[in-house]
Amino acid sequence: MSVKYIPVQWNPNKWVYDAIMLAGVALFLWVFLYVTPETLSHERPINAQVHNARAFGACAFLMLTLTLCIGPLARLDRRFLPLLYNRRHFGVMTAFVGLTHANYIINWYFAFSSTNKYDGLITSNTSYGQLAGFPFEAFGIFALLCLLILATTSHDFWLKFLTAPIWKRLHYLIYAAYASVIAHVSLGILQDQKNHFFTVVVFIGATAVCLLHILAWRQESAEAKASAGTWIDVAEPGAFREGFAKITRLPSGDRVAVFLMEGKLSAISNACAHQNGPLGEGKIIDCLVTCPWHGFQYDVLNGQSPAPFTEQIPTYRLRFEDGKVQVHPDANAPGTPVDPLPLPTEATSNLEVTP
Amino acid sequence: MTTGEAIVFGVQIWGGIGLFVAALFLFIGIDRIDEDAQGAYVFRPLLIPGIMLIWPLVLWRWWQIESGTAAWLPRYQPVRQGHGVAIVIMSLVIVVAFVTGMSVRQTWPEDFVPQQLTKAE
Repeated sequence: MSVKYIPVQWNPNKWVYDAIMLAGVALFLWVFLYVTPETLSHERPINAQVHNARAFGACAFLMLTLTLCIGPLARLDRRFLPLLYNRRHFGVMTAFVGLTHANYIINWYFAFSSTNKYDGLITSNTSYGQLAGFPFEAFGIFALLCLLILATTSHDFWLKFLTAPIWKRLHYLIYAAYASVIAHVSLGILQDQKNHFFTVVVFIGATAVCLLHILAWRQESAEAKASAGTWIDVAEPGAFREGFAKITRLPSGDRVAVFLMEGKLSAISNACAHQNGPLGEGKIIDCLVTCPWHGFQYDVLNGQSPAPFTEQIPTYRLRFEDGKVQVHPDANAPGTPVDPLPLPTEATSNLEVTP
Repeated sequence: MTTGEAIVFGVQIWGGIGLFVAALFLFIGIDRIDEDAQGAYVFRPLLIPGIMLIWPLVLWRWWQIESGTAAWLPRYQPVRQGHGVAIVIMSLVIVVAFVTGMSVRQTWPEDFVPQQLTKAE
């Protein structure tokens, strides 16, 4: 089974998302540069270069803050999920804005000397032993490097090539980048503010990121603790629709898709072996569940793609207990056949069969 | 060679090796290890910056896939287990950075009037 890579996978929703994002960036820069210089304490900038550097720096900070808020918001409230689906484009744009900020800085502060400008960036301030006047540029360089790694490894190819665990761990760099940005800003521009507008903005942004992440993490931890080592409730038998799945989150954080096919339930991993697409959002066609992202197909009875394809995903055990369908959190090896669980007679009598 | 020059030189060497690995991988390796890339060429230039940045990881994965030594199980092991630790560390570093920044910030006297130290000629 194969879906050829293309440079960017756009669809109508993503066009709208990207258009709004680009318009937002343009609006922010325009407001920063031309509408609110007094509020933002740069009514007398040194020159256009510094003015632009500040605008792009502030924009990158705001975008990074928003990018980081999207994840926990979507976990706390599913209404934010549409923002999550196209977050990659937001992240790539953030890296470009940050890179533009760095270019303005380097090509002004370090460009007019016999010393190489990148050498000058590193060596012009080496007061690493003191807090006041600390070379905050180092934090900015580190954060930008992290953002560039994240942006340049955001193509679908990387997720498949590195595998989801490695790719996700690599993308934990976003947290290091944000902490480094806060250090960069706190020891940099906030040292030079005669009004406190930026200070308040940075404080609110950083607080929102920390609080949202901790809240979402605590909620997930509490749910995981409540159900650790035990069978997990999926739904009542009557809640299933023929050909579709109910998705359940396991204590480990993984998700299981429980499908109803011909009056019997089967559970497979919700993550497609191709690029972790949400299988549970697909439907069963000709006894096979089809991934909504790229059309990869699996037999829900054993998690195997139909021959001649070789993709396999883990399966799970199901049971009825206390009037509910339950799944065991331990995954079977990918491709392991599991006998489907017939629905009780009273549940099947209410089934809505879709053609 | 100064420290700064040495760092810049090191970055250039890293990028140079990365470019070489990118050429090797995109012309030879990618077709051997990923069937989705076979016949797909337009997207390949997009991978160059990423390979230049993390080329050791690329070489390692390339070798793992080519040699068939990649275990299937880690692919399905949950990765969100380390998420809590990551966000707690991030939050602590943010608090320390912000408080430190505020504590060393200097304030100027409100009534300070600039003085010209040298006479204009």
